[in-house]
Formats: sequence, C-alpha cells, structure tokens
Amino acid sequence: MKFLCTDCDTAMKFKDVTRPEQGSVTALFECPDCFTEIAMYLNPSETQMLKSLDLKLGGTNEAAQPMQLVRSQLETAKGESMPNMFSSETGSGETAEGGKCPFTGVISDAFQEDATPTEPIGPTWTAEALERLERIPAFVRPMAKMGIESFAKDNGHDEITGEVMDAARGNFPAQF
Amino acid sequence: MKTYTDLPSDAGSNIIGQVTAQANRLQQRLTSVKYTVAVMSGKGGVGKSSLTANLAAALTLKGNTVGVVDADINGPTLAKMMGVRNATLEYTPTGVKPAITALGTKLISMDLLLAEDDAPVLWNAHSQKDAFTWRATMEVGALREFIADTEWGNLDYLLLDLPPGTDRLPNVAELIPNLGGIVVVTIPSEVSQLIVKKSVTMAKDILKVPIIGVVENMAFYVCQHCGEEEPLFSADETPDKAFQQTVLGSIPFDPRLAHANDNGTPYIDKYPDTPVSRAFIQVVEKIQDFFKSQTTERSP
Repeated sequence: MKFLCTDCDTAMKFKDVTRPEQGSVTALFECPDCFTEIAMYLNPSETQMLKSLDLKLGGTNEAAQPMQLVRSQLETAKGESMPNMFSSETGSGETAEGGKCPFTGVISDAFQEDATPTEPIGPTWTAEALERLERIPAFVRPMAKMGIESFAKDNGHDEITGEVMDAARGNFPAQF
Repeated sequence: MKTYTDLPSDAGSNIIGQVTAQANRLQQRLTSVKYTVAVMSGKGGVGKSSLTANLAAALTLKGNTVGVVDADINGPTLAKMMGVRNATLEYTPTGVKPAITALGTKLISMDLLLAEDDAPVLWNAHSQKDAFTWRATMEVGALREFIADTEWGNLDYLLLDLPPGTDRLPNVAELIPNLGGIVVVTIPSEVSQLIVKKSVTMAKDILKVPIIGVVENMAFYVCQHCGEEEPLFSADETPDKAFQQTVLGSIPFDPRLAHANDNGTPYIDKYPDTPVSRAFIQVVEKIQDFFKSQTTERSP
C-alpha cells in the first residue's frame, strides 16, 4: 500500500500508528513536502489479518524474537517466566484482552491493545454524546470519533457534549 | 500524477521486507535439516500421530537425529504420545529449545505452550467473531515459527505430523519448498480411501510434492493368543491399487499401541519383537531407501 500527496505529487511517509481501539488500528502518513497528514483506518478484520501475518505497520528494526507471534498472541498460553532477555522490558504481561503470556508486553507491536490503560488523553465523552456517536454508521464511526476529539482538543473542550458535536458536525459528511 | 510503480516504497512499512525476513529465517533453520517428511492423510483418526511418533522413535533408534513438528495446531497429541507433556520450553535469543524424549527425539508442539489440559488454542483478537477470516493465517504463522524458531541443531530427519484435511499440505509445501516427501496414512476402509485419494491428488497433481508412499494402518488384527490374522475393515481395493503409490507397509492393529501412546512410551522400544514393530521398521527402511535412491540419482 502506497500513498501519494496529490498536491505535491510526492510519496507520503509513515508517521505513526495507534494501538487498536475497538479492534481498529489507525496509521498516520505525512507528506514530506507540505506536511499534510492523512489517517488510514483499518477495520477490525484488516487489523486482525495484519496481526495474524505478524507484520508491523511502519516497519520494524528489531530482530524477531523466537516464536514471537505464538507467544504474543496465544491467549491460552502457559504463564511461565521468560528469561532475562525479555524481563527488563516486560510490562505487566496481561493484555487488555486477558492474554497471560508475559512476552505480550514486550513486543513493539502496534497491534496490541494497550496493555496498561492509563488516564485518557484528550476530552471525555458525556453519555448523551456517546449515544449520538453510536448512531453514526459503524464504518465511519472511528473516523468521526477521532475527528470530533481532534476538534474538541483544538477548540479547548475537555468534555465532548452534544453541543461540541454540533459544532464539529460541519466537518463531517455523516449525520449524528 | 505519479503511479503506484513510481513510488519507491510502501511509505516505510516495508511489508515485503518483513515477509522476506520471515522466509529467510525459516530457510536458514532448514539448512541444518537433511530430510523433511510430512505425515498426512486427509482422513482423521487413522493413526497419523501414532505413526509419526513411532517412525520418529524408529529413526532415532537407528542412529538418526530426528525432530518432530506437531503441525496439528488445534489438536496436538504428540507431546502426550512421546512422553514429554511436562517439558518446559526454554527460550534463548536464537530460538526455543525443543522438548527431548527419553530416546533423544526432539519435539515442538502447541501442547507444550498451552496453559491447561482443557485449554483450546485461542488467539488474541478484538473479537472471535469472523475468526474464519484470519484464524488459518494465524495457524500458518504458528507453524512457520515452530519450524523456524526451534533450535533443532543438525537433523537427519524432520517429521511433520499434519492435521486431518488437505488444507495444511499447501501451507507446508509453501513453507518448505524442498519438502523431501510425504508419507500418506490410510486404513483399509472405503471411507478412508475415498478421502485419502483426495490428499494424494493434492500432493501429486496439484502441489507436485513427492509421495514417498502409503502406510496402511490398522491393516489387520493379530490374535494375541493364536496368532491368527483377522481383517478389521473391508475395503475391496488394496492400497497399491487404490492409490497407485508405493506401499511402505501395513501396520497391524495392536491394543498395546494405544496404551503405549497414552503412557508416552515408544511402542517400538517397548515391544521391539512384534508384527507392529517389524512393520514400523519396514516403513522406516523404505523411507531411508527413498532418500538414498534420490541421493544416488543426483550423484554423477
């Protein structure tokens, strides 16, 4: 997959990738000339397929660890200790979805759900706003959510309410 | 506007490079293996794993260094049959040390990684719904890692015990382009022959993988009291006619084989002087002859 900045006729470059949210990963690409960014959203099936192929968006410079796919993705794996080579970098070892393998937290793997949830970064959502978010068609919902959060952040809103969504609506084709 | 081919790379992910690195790791590991043999059937319950365990034991007893890959990711039984279920895998920077049986055969199996006896193979995913779209891919990845990341050392033989069905063989043929050959397992029933024929076609005509021969398991029953041979099944066709392939041997049914498997004891080591063990030895010798003849053909 390649991306072209049509304004500059320049190949875009990978910039960043988020950990999956609701199984969907987001990759950011940037034009090196005009710095325009685009976001590519992989739906949960596409995200899972890349994960199953043990491929990393944005590439990797790290040498593959022995059986890294099996050890990081097998939910029902033994929880035995890993040798020191891994332990210094190991996190909690528990994935957000319950994996027991301590190796899980080690791999620089964009496909892992965040192993140690922290305080949410960015604005929070009111119940009403979340309800409206749910009414957005599923296939555009992650994009809309990110756009609204970005709008709220840019405009200094700590909380996303119905009013904030109304204000952001002009930026999106989908009705919510 | 530039086209796809004008752009130098895939924006930095280097997906082709990542796939190539996986393939290189696998090929590098296989350089220390002389012969790879896939044991397959197509039909379930014909004794593939039991045969694999005993072929591995027989080859080891004949002085070969032998590794076994339990390629049945979802139904792994070889750790139990080969008596190494309690083994703990050791991870090193260069690979995973396999389980080693009392005879010295090396084994890697999903069973050695699962937490509990009743734990199924469950992969990390946002949802198990629609798992059919990616689960097979994950299993092939697991198989690739089993072969590539196990510290086999130098092996004379690497045996792969395939699950039932014809779907895993294409994966194996792709992972191991120089697959030495296939041992096809059947039992003398028309139902088995019907299914196993499909596997033979897949191997011979579609994948063009060499078939070493067919093993007819549970070929007959030898009465332990009078020594009389009685058939267990009633296929009209003999295996050579049914499959048009070399028959490597016919293994009689012996209840002690099932007990040996349950106990993790190599039958061939415990009961060396029985019709079953003699049949195993015959199969092993024909496999060795197959590879010897290939070596001779290649020699100037």
